[in-house]
Amino acid sequence: MSYYCKKCNKYWNYPVENCVFCGERTYEVISTKNYVTGYTKVHVPSAGNEKVPYYIYLLEDENGIKSFKKSYEKYETGDEISPIKEINDKVKVGIVGTGLMGSQIAEHLILCRYETMLKTREEKNEKMIFSRIEKNISKGLSETEVSQYLRYLSTTTDYSDFSDCDVVIDATTENLEVKREVFKILSNTCRDTTILATNSSSISIDYISIDTPKPENCIGMHFFNPVRKMDLVEIVVGEKTSKRTKDVIIKFAKDLGKIPIMVKSSPGFIVNRLLLPQINEAAKLLEEGVASKEDIDLATKLGLNHPMGPFELADFIGIDICVSILEVLSKELKNVTIKPADILYEMVNEGKLGYKTKEGFYKY
Amino acid sequence: MFITGIGRTKFGNLDKSLPELAYEAIVNAIHDSEQNIKDIDAIYVSNFLCGPLNGQLHLNSVISSLIPDLNIPILRIETACASSSVAFNQAINCGKFSNIMIVGVEKMTGPLLTPPIDAISMAGDREFDHREGLIFPASYALIAQQYMGKYDIDHSVLEDVSYLNHKNSRLNPFAHFFHKEVSRELIKKSPMIADPLNLFDCSPLSDGSVAIVLSRESHSDRDIRILASQMSTDSISLTNRKNLTSFRSTKIASKNAYNEAKIKPSDVDILEVHDCFTISELIALEDLGICGTGKACELIKSGAIEIDGSIPVNTDGGLKANGHPIGATGLAQIYEIVIQLRLEAGKRQVDSPKIGMAQNIGGVGGTCGITILGV
Repeated sequence: MSYYCKKCNKYWNYPVENCVFCGERTYEVISTKNYVTGYTKVHVPSAGNEKVPYYIYLLEDENGIKSFKKSYEKYETGDEISPIKEINDKVKVGIVGTGLMGSQIAEHLILCRYETMLKTREEKNEKMIFSRIEKNISKGLSETEVSQYLRYLSTTTDYSDFSDCDVVIDATTENLEVKREVFKILSNTCRDTTILATNSSSISIDYISIDTPKPENCIGMHFFNPVRKMDLVEIVVGEKTSKRTKDVIIKFAKDLGKIPIMVKSSPGFIVNRLLLPQINEAAKLLEEGVASKEDIDLATKLGLNHPMGPFELADFIGIDICVSILEVLSKELKNVTIKPADILYEMVNEGKLGYKTKEGFYKY
Repeated sequence: MFITGIGRTKFGNLDKSLPELAYEAIVNAIHDSEQNIKDIDAIYVSNFLCGPLNGQLHLNSVISSLIPDLNIPILRIETACASSSVAFNQAINCGKFSNIMIVGVEKMTGPLLTPPIDAISMAGDREFDHREGLIFPASYALIAQQYMGKYDIDHSVLEDVSYLNHKNSRLNPFAHFFHKEVSRELIKKSPMIADPLNLFDCSPLSDGSVAIVLSRESHSDRDIRILASQMSTDSISLTNRKNLTSFRSTKIASKNAYNEAKIKPSDVDILEVHDCFTISELIALEDLGICGTGKACELIKSGAIEIDGSIPVNTDGGLKANGHPIGATGLAQIYEIVIQLRLEAGKRQVDSPKIGMAQNIGGVGGTCGITILGV
């Protein structure tokens, strides 16, 4: 888009209202056709352009107005390119669940320009979720940019709206029955080729996919909180997960700017199997009166070089979630030493669930 | 030399980008002047932080794209918060050009490359002061602490300065806080930033632009005469200053400016001072010789600096309330003096002023630009 003064025959790239030469109002010129007049392929990454190689096309419209366009696709000189921004990789993603993780994954997806369909249980929630996501992405962006990104987001209460999704990510509560049901419905409403992924942090993908006719299309995709900042995604491969499913999801995770790691379906995967026993052990240290919670956190941060201490992290994760993961771990691994510490059960009973309830090990 | 045209944008948290802001000010200044953009021989651009904040340097070429096909000499001047009075001073002193435009612009809100507090700290000394945590408000807090101890005054006079500036800004539709009603209570109870300075002792982060057209000849009876333009500098680290409650750069530049204009401090009818923090308004009044050393509190309490007082100060709301888009601030002061001298200031018009002066500070007095204008 550019701005033009007829009288002076001058063009501006910026939205200027009046011509500085004659004072007359300018016209907005909208390009309808853009042709490639030159290009280069860039092999060196830079800030905002980490993924290489990419092409930069020099375009010219019917008025001779020039513009640049970055793309990963190959065009030749003389090709016409639509001025409308192409959707990233043409993958359409569905998300089930609008809790903390579901909405954060949705935020990250739309910021990466993926067409995203977010499902919530009740219609009355849709507006609220939309404005929450709008608020969360607006930091550091202009109003125009925010509305551009929001165009990638739709909300629904109906599973049938996932019918044209390429990937659906389950981000419902950490409960096997719920997740099995979600996967069962999805396998009926989605295409045969749709990949069903779950953000489960501890439940085996082999159990979740048990009622689906195509378990080869099912995989775990475990994001970390906060999604936009945490680079890791645990790709959880089940017994029946196909190579195609694995390959597509690895590429998808990389395109989201994440670093995927592979793990076989097993209790707690890697991160939680390492983390939760540590949190549990810290809670036991506290119970035994060995040290104060502040000092245990400090020891972990300064002695182990962790950015957060176990209690700070437990509050951030949620004490109820810690307990449910520990229960899964101790049961599945048949290990009584990682049975949740009594203090964790007490806190759950008292409703001290951490940051989200304004009190856990610490007050917020 | 004469000021033949002035133009500005509103100051505040604005939607426009840096080039769009500059363009708006340029168009307004040309519209205000009898001259055409094609008469302009050169442009001096004043800006402090386009690199660290907006990730854009080579600003002279950005400005060139706003005036397609003119291809005239354009250059950028950076002397921290004093950038625009220094750009003005350099334009006058260049000698070669007949008609010059000065454009001050700063974009401080929206998506930024560096947090503003860190970017602004670049105006202070990195080697000795910033390393010890001396961010900008802390420097002025230290000065306030020294001043308040030396002359045995309390925080209330700083609250008066803040209150008066906000009161004046309510008469200036372009001001950052034009729409904000600010009570003494709000000022007093605002959160502490660096003891003894609280939020209302600090000027805001603003977006904005001002453009001014200079000419060696007068083109209309609205033109304002430039009586003096001087700049002076001082060491950047506060550890090198003998006295923290006075800025040598202000004293020297203003002494030279009074000599150049052949006037004395008492001849000044209206004054714009660089109140980036309230304490600097007190120090400016003393360094400029408007009152004696340690007497600023008395002068302020007497009502002399109000719009109907004997020496109205910051009639536009000052940096505190008109706003502080750093690279445009010094030109905004000149803009205010020009409309006051032209008797075009509307509701905040001072009774027939003849001589106006602007004091523009860079950093913590490391640079000072003084401008004196007359009808």
